[in-house]
Amino acid sequence: MTDKTPCQLRERDDIVLRVAHLSVNFAVGKQTVQAVTDVSFDVARGETLGLVGESGCGKSTIGRAIMQLPPPSAGAVIFRDQDMTVLSGEALRQTRTGLQMIFQDPVSSLNPRRRVRDIIAEGLTIWGRDNSAARVEEVMSAVGLDAASAGDRRPHQFSGGQCQRICIARSLALDPDVLICDEPVSALDVSVQAQILNLLEDMKARYHLTMVFIAHNLAVVKNISDRVAVMYLGKLCEIGNTEAIYSKPVHPYTRALLASIPDADPLAREQALLDEEPLLQGELPSPADPPSGCRFRTRCPYAQERCAREEPFMQAAGDDHFVACHFPLL
Amino acid sequence: MRTKVSDQSVVRSRAQGFSAAARQVFGRGFGPGFWIAAGWLLVVALSAIFADVLPVRDPLDPVISNRLNGPLTTNILGADGLGRDMLSRLVHGARVSVVIALTAVTIGMVIGGTLGILAGYFRGHFERGLMAVLDVILAFPWLVLLLALVAFIGQSLMAISVAIGFLWIPAYARVARANTLSVVQREYVLAARAMGAGTLRILLREVLPNVILPVLAYGLVAMGLVIIVESALAFLGLSVEAPQPTWGGMISEGKRHLATAVHVALVPSITMFLTVLSLNYVGDRLRSRFDVRESNL
Amino acid sequence: MTDANQHEPLLLRVTGLTVRLNSSHGLVHAVEDVSFSLARGQTLGIVGESGSGKSVMARSLMGLLPRRSIAFGSGSILFHTDNAQEQDLAQMPDKLMRHLRGPAMAMVFQDPMTALNPVLRLSVQLTEPLRQHLGLDRQQARSRAIELLAAVGIPDAAGRIDQYPHQLSGGMRQRVVIAIALACNPALLIADEPTTALDVTVQKQILDLLARLQREHNMAMILITHDLGVVASRADYIAVMYAGRIVEYAPARTLFTSMQHPYTEALFKSIPRINDPSHTRLQAIPGRPPQLINAAVGCAFAPRCQYVQPRCRQQTPPVVEVPDAREHRHACFYPISPGLNREEGDD
Ligand SMILES: Nc1ncnc2c1ncn2[C@@H]1O[C@H](COP(=O)(O)OP(=O)(O)OP(=O)(O)O)[C@@H](O)[C@H]1O
Ligand SMILES: Nc1ncnc2c1ncn2[C@@H]1O[C@H](COP(=O)(O)OP(=O)(O)O)[C@@H](O)[C@H]1O
Ligand code: SF4
Ligand code: SF4
Ligand SMILES: [Mg+2]
Ligand SMILES: [Mg+2]
Repeated sequence: MTDKTPCQLRERDDIVLRVAHLSVNFAVGKQTVQAVTDVSFDVARGETLGLVGESGCGKSTIGRAIMQLPPPSAGAVIFRDQDMTVLSGEALRQTRTGLQMIFQDPVSSLNPRRRVRDIIAEGLTIWGRDNSAARVEEVMSAVGLDAASAGDRRPHQFSGGQCQRICIARSLALDPDVLICDEPVSALDVSVQAQILNLLEDMKARYHLTMVFIAHNLAVVKNISDRVAVMYLGKLCEIGNTEAIYSKPVHPYTRALLASIPDADPLAREQALLDEEPLLQGELPSPADPPSGCRFRTRCPYAQERCAREEPFMQAAGDDHFVACHFPLL
Repeated sequence: MRTKVSDQSVVRSRAQGFSAAARQVFGRGFGPGFWIAAGWLLVVALSAIFADVLPVRDPLDPVISNRLNGPLTTNILGADGLGRDMLSRLVHGARVSVVIALTAVTIGMVIGGTLGILAGYFRGHFERGLMAVLDVILAFPWLVLLLALVAFIGQSLMAISVAIGFLWIPAYARVARANTLSVVQREYVLAARAMGAGTLRILLREVLPNVILPVLAYGLVAMGLVIIVESALAFLGLSVEAPQPTWGGMISEGKRHLATAVHVALVPSITMFLTVLSLNYVGDRLRSRFDVRESNL
Repeated sequence: MTDANQHEPLLLRVTGLTVRLNSSHGLVHAVEDVSFSLARGQTLGIVGESGSGKSVMARSLMGLLPRRSIAFGSGSILFHTDNAQEQDLAQMPDKLMRHLRGPAMAMVFQDPMTALNPVLRLSVQLTEPLRQHLGLDRQQARSRAIELLAAVGIPDAAGRIDQYPHQLSGGMRQRVVIAIALACNPALLIADEPTTALDVTVQKQILDLLARLQREHNMAMILITHDLGVVASRADYIAVMYAGRIVEYAPARTLFTSMQHPYTEALFKSIPRINDPSHTRLQAIPGRPPQLINAAVGCAFAPRCQYVQPRCRQQTPPVVEVPDAREHRHACFYPISPGLNREEGDD
């Protein structure tokens, strides 16, 4: 692992969350799965960072490692000027409340045996903060739930979209600085998805949140993010501001991803740029045995001999635009 | 943007009117079989509780003239080899069965359940060690173990209950552990930790309420088995000492008269069969019902 | 209401299909008066939110709904078999229906894991329909099965065929499901949300695969999805379903150039677009789709429609043809036609 500061980490004093050289390994039987390897990024105050990639590439693992649930195998997570990976016990519990998480499956995120009101008040109760009915109702109405009729029900009486609202209310009750959303709309219908995305934008403005937004739907990520990080097989491929990544993707994998989006409007589709790209072929390699050098090389149409030998490091590809590829498509 | 969740649900439940409310309380789709079985269990439980005040004869009073009389003669359910009233002995025997079943199951449930939840939550060495010990207990011939325990702690009602309860610890630990493992994977446990909840709070608030119902339902099925175990002990003459009536003891006595008076063995056998069947049925229905419901519809 | 599918012979004509199901909450009006037709080699996309009756409709075409849960069914499903005979599937007994599933029509389900039997090797699951319907012997069936796996893009098909479903990734499983569906060269393939459980990249692979196989076999396809984007570029015709009814039906291009129904428009606008700048506010549809329990009076979309008028709540809008447009139908009293002067909604 390099000690050099990765170039994509910015020198700014409004950085809220900084993840440096993060790695997470899992022991599966006798093998070690490298779910996340040497990932670095930062998020500035009020920013939304989108994290995209295929299923199994380690997005959720990063989200959880930031929360120290479980702590990463290596690397640092700097939040409020502290490295969370060295904290433990009470200090960790305390710091962790500044970060909250929303999950993909809203139904399994809520304890089926508790009332909505208690679920939302839980964090406040734990920390002995104001958990009065008024406070709970305030967050509930902020997310568009009717406290009077919804408060005493149990989660299974609500639809997926409503459950997601409950989850959002629960995480907002603790007044976090950072909200980590792990595919919060993937399980929802398109019409409800729009409601939740709008709600997240509103809540971000109202509660001055900084967000890490994990998803595999690129249009959704573009809609909500200021910056985007693209992952493949546990590693970062490309990171930069949303406009740059979507209009001028330079990593072969990002191009392939963008080329696979079906567009709702057949007339507006700009086929010129992307449709000429060769399609992504083959299957994702196993993270237990990732390819040498560049992990994308087994499916990369531009792979050359150097890609198998040497691992590509992040390099600048433009203004706030970084790519890890030996032969970026500049 | 205010949404209409609540309106939706309200409309729905209003449309169903009273039946929806009734369903909330009594549950939907239990069916008549469930209620018959539950009714029988209630009868057994009431008999056990009120055995002393019920208008039945003295279970220990031998009336020689009634010896081996069949049902619906001098005695409603007939009399046994010593001329004692079978109905009365059944009612008093129910007390033994119920006490043993309840105590044994409670012991197994509390100790086994706790161990299982802890194993499922903490995993690691604790889980592996515990499971190894439990496997050893399970692998041991239970009858031999039971005989040893009874020989060691005596033949009183409590001693026998404790001995049987001990045998049930591994089964409960397994059920509780399996349920805990699936609950712990749910994101609400993760969310609780993210909010700073301590381990004890997570165990009590998030895990226990979701594990306890399936474990309780399993407890009903287990009670049926405990009743059978008691009768097996009685067959070996190791249950509660005579002349105190127990169902197992009655069946075991009845086997001497099988050729001449089948009812002496048959009546307690049928009673026990119905009770065990009802426990299994009710337990099974409850268990399938309490499997954590994920969503409506 | 005739569709001029002029070039290709007609394969399927559904008229007035209505299916009501028993449920513990009451009668579910899952499919109401659905009509459409489909020619050989064409693709009909069906879009709608979850619970709009898409799957029930698909299953009723296949005769796969459990008999005891059907409270009421009416309408006709005319299917043209190879020898140009016309059969009404709605009247057909289960026994005969079974012979059609496989060679005539086949289905691909949403969840590739539950569609495959976890304890059987792929070889067994693939060869069974081949032997049953095509009468191949064991060896022939096996080599045909390997061909099929290769055709759906599974590398090392001969090696994979003896594996179990759990040894495959989600995308590969869906390929296997497709291979099974295609085993007997069906004339009609119904794909019920075939890519909802999959990643974007795999989704594109699967959709491309379906398109290729369709071309090769001149197979008609009903592609069900809740994502307008999936059908936009892949369907010849699109039917938008809401609360069990087809509220708008048109050739794909026409639908996107001149959508008539407020629900189609709302659905379209609620989708984030890749070409829009970040933080573009999405136009969400307020509320939720109705529950379909018991018949409702009026237009089912009225509670969520921004153009609603008093009349919409009193009468159910009938299906009408758009004047001067070919094969374009909708069910709305106040369609979005640019020429018409439209009053604003009353709330
Ligand atoms: N507890 C665990 N034990 C072993 N392996 C794990 C564990 N959690 C995740 N993994 C592995 O780590 C890799 C990354 O998983 P992760 O859940 O982070 O993916 P993801 O990008 O969030 O995918 P998805 O889009 O499906 O949610 C996968 O190969 C996964 O199998
Ligand atoms: N077997 C069934 N019995 C009763 N109701 C059903 C059954 N299957 C589906 N439904 C109901 O029919 C309606 C339409 O369902 P479905 O066709 O699955 O929707 P979609 O596929 O559009 O998401 C829903 O309200 C659903 O709950
Ligand atoms: S480093 Fe080589 S293999 Fe990797 S993405 Fe770039 S060109 Fe492709
Ligand atoms: S009929 Fe009325 S309520 Fe229904 S979609 Fe048309 S305008 Fe809206
Ligand atoms: Mg994930
Ligand atoms: Mg469906």
